[in-house]
Amino acid sequence: MGQYIIKRLSYILLVFLLLSFLLFMIYHMLPVDKAAEKAREEVIANKTLNYEERYEYWKAEYGLNGTKVERYLRWLGLYPYQNGGYNGLLQGNLGTSTKYGESVIRVIREPMRNTVTINLIAAAAALGITIPLGIFCAVRRGSRRDAFIQVATIIGYSLPAFIIAIVFIWIFAVRLGWFPVSGMQTAGVTFTSSWHRLRDRLYHLALPLIVMTFCSLGGMTRYVRAAMTEALSLDCIRTARAKGLGRRTIVYSHAFRNALIPIVTLVISWLLGIFSGSLMIENIFSLDGIGRVYFEALQNKDNEIVLALQLFYVLIGLVGNLLIDVVYGMVDPRVRVSK
Amino acid sequence: MESPTRQLVRAFFRRPRAVVALFVLVALFAFVLIAPRFLPMNVNDTDVLGANIAPNFAMLRVPSSLAGNVKDINGFSNFTLGLDKEGKVYVWGYTKNPLSGIDLSLLPPALEGGAVQVAAGYDHAVAITPQGELVGWGNETQRQYPTDLSQIPGGHLDPARVSQLACGYQSTALVYEGKLYLWGNANAMLNMSALSEETARHTEETGVGVSQVALGSFNAVALYEDGTVASGGVLGKQSTAVSSRGGRVKNLAEYLREGRVIDVAATDNCFAFLMSDGEILVFGGGEHGESDIAAIPADDRAVKLLAGSRHFVALTEGGRTYAWGDNSGGQTEVNGRVASDVFVGAKQTYLVDAQGKLILKRGSRGYLFGTDNRGRDVFTRIAHGGKTTMTIGAVAVLVSSFIAIVIGCLSGYFGGWVDLLLMRVTEVFSAIPFLPFAMMLSYILSYYPIGETARMLLIMVILGLLSWTGLARIIRGQVLSEREKEFVLAARAMGVGERRIAFLHILPNVLSVILVSMTLDFAACLLTESSLSYLGFGVQQPRPTWGNMLGGANNSIVIQNYWWQWLFPALFLSVATISINMIGDTMRDVLDPKSSRSR
Repeated sequence: MGQYIIKRLSYILLVFLLLSFLLFMIYHMLPVDKAAEKAREEVIANKTLNYEERYEYWKAEYGLNGTKVERYLRWLGLYPYQNGGYNGLLQGNLGTSTKYGESVIRVIREPMRNTVTINLIAAAAALGITIPLGIFCAVRRGSRRDAFIQVATIIGYSLPAFIIAIVFIWIFAVRLGWFPVSGMQTAGVTFTSSWHRLRDRLYHLALPLIVMTFCSLGGMTRYVRAAMTEALSLDCIRTARAKGLGRRTIVYSHAFRNALIPIVTLVISWLLGIFSGSLMIENIFSLDGIGRVYFEALQNKDNEIVLALQLFYVLIGLVGNLLIDVVYGMVDPRVRVSK
Repeated sequence: MESPTRQLVRAFFRRPRAVVALFVLVALFAFVLIAPRFLPMNVNDTDVLGANIAPNFAMLRVPSSLAGNVKDINGFSNFTLGLDKEGKVYVWGYTKNPLSGIDLSLLPPALEGGAVQVAAGYDHAVAITPQGELVGWGNETQRQYPTDLSQIPGGHLDPARVSQLACGYQSTALVYEGKLYLWGNANAMLNMSALSEETARHTEETGVGVSQVALGSFNAVALYEDGTVASGGVLGKQSTAVSSRGGRVKNLAEYLREGRVIDVAATDNCFAFLMSDGEILVFGGGEHGESDIAAIPADDRAVKLLAGSRHFVALTEGGRTYAWGDNSGGQTEVNGRVASDVFVGAKQTYLVDAQGKLILKRGSRGYLFGTDNRGRDVFTRIAHGGKTTMTIGAVAVLVSSFIAIVIGCLSGYFGGWVDLLLMRVTEVFSAIPFLPFAMMLSYILSYYPIGETARMLLIMVILGLLSWTGLARIIRGQVLSEREKEFVLAARAMGVGERRIAFLHILPNVLSVILVSMTLDFAACLLTESSLSYLGFGVQQPRPTWGNMLGGANNSIVIQNYWWQWLFPALFLSVATISINMIGDTMRDVLDPKSSRSR
């Protein structure tokens, strides 16, 4: 098992390096020249300066001189800058946001926390609804209620998140006025107690959370139902029935354990989607999350944030694949991952 | 004995839900393929005055009690005023603004005794009562109409001496006893004060009064009693105009001074001058064909000019009408018609006989799905947008299926290091989060000056490149199990080539699985394209897709007040994806032997 994980990790590292090199090259092909911008600014401010000289200076300062590979290694933190220091990914430097003038890590720290919180709540809510619902449908397969839920879930997963969000805003925020239309907190209010702050926060987050949960109901219910149906048709279940075990025991103890394997995959891939999945919802509801930071960085042409987040997304995806395989092996003893 | 395929088709058609979904999908396909041919669209055309109109067909709905004895019909934008011979005022068209709550069809009580003159603007209307009162209603935030008549000597009007009452975008003009009075939004009527001053000075110096005024969206011109023109700076030294006699008139101001102008009319951004000898001169942009003056027969000549927002109508001495300009609602299809008088709304033309009976009405009846924030017809954009969305989705699915088939077949059939390598590549691609990556690629494209079509092609390729992994895995699994079967062994024994076995012997056996997956992927691609376009990283405005039409609905004002702008595109997109998913789901069900047995 340990060997397997190490093998996979080294493979992930390789892929990550490959992809980061590709992405780095793509971003450095873009006609954006930080050094030229800075030099131009300086020359405009102080006419006595020589543009060429300042340009060379800033190029060296930003580590933009040298070959492409050198620049890439510098960015990784494996090749020294002009001053001999290393300052790259390995040193924890992901770059500087041009919009905010701060390091990328600082810019994304708070949004990252928000995104994870929001998604964890939504995931818990969605799983809490879909697993019982999926089991119910699988057990009552073919019944009228099952047929109804099947149609409802097809409709549910056919609707894009933004349409669900617009309709929910229209119903709950505009028509009924239960929730605010967007934002994370009431603007311009300082709260005296943390309880009030939390309450205000929850009031603002309620509608986005409802929408996010609703968006995932359709697909997840179907998935759970399919997994459970598969499990219920196993021979061991027939044996259990023949032995005269109670229906509850069969469904929850025997069948559900078998259905757990695909469901675990679902849960993990869902958790991985946390970081990119709420991009749309965050933008519609103006929530200060990672998806919104990414969206705004793209709009502001803030390339270093885009690059850092992109790599983060890739890394999450790769680690997630590994996680799924490992957990798969743990849940299902028949799968031997240490081959 | 039935072939398996026939059985499957039969099983599919036994499910009413799937048949309905198939029917809906075919209808949608037919709609997006056929409708754009009949709904011409100029993507760059915008109409600010026609923006945010709710679905309605009231714009040509002349009240029946007016149709018999018309005295006047007047419209500037989305609603039209009528006046019958008894002095009763009628309003029809799109009269209610959901944002301000103003309803122009609610006439003020002062008009209970009727009116002698009426004029309609963009968000206001004015009328003169028989008692000489000037009554305005509607929006007055820009002082579109006067609340008292202190400017006028005596403080009230003598209806008999009112030469003209007219409305512009957010302005009102009154020609009274040879004097021109203008009220309204000076930011929208750029030459308002210049024109007032010019006419006042001219009248004082020469004693010649103003006889007529024409208001466009941004400027106005006036006509003096002696047939000369006051333009308030609109006509400069270099102004040229198109003449009905062909060619251009070089120095318009000079030319007008030499001749005698008997009538003037203004569309949104064009002015037309009618000379006493019947020559018509059109000055201004003419993007909608305003300067393609209709040919009037040589033995006849125009005696009266009228203008809607984008079209002109001329009435000739012989009592015939000729129109030119924008024909989006058929408003210019009146050439050669006999009429004793003619009136216009913004996009309508009304012909009236000598008794005041309405004999013909042509023009825009309204909008089935309303208009968007730039005055573009939502229905037309849904048709064209659907075509774009469906095309992108279909091509993206073809691209992704092609990649998936090649990789899946190779990987499954050959196994070994080929399989290992291809599966690692697949893994990398499936690790890439879809939406952020597609956004990033689209963003990188924005740095390079590429055409619209090239951009759309690239979006198709991006979508295809990012969505093939799932299908490739499925195909690989299927091929893995198929290649162990006897027919492959037989083919190999007969000396069939490896590539031939993989693509011609095994592939057809997994075709049904591919088909199901392609159907479901098609829906997924539609959703992704819409999401991308909604966020502004897909197809760009003004070219419509179902996704970017919803982009404007990202604020509560639009969601609340202009529901038609998001509801209809959302409905079309949802119905399309739901029916595709229903079909795909049923296909999968039918193919699955376990589930078909239980039915």
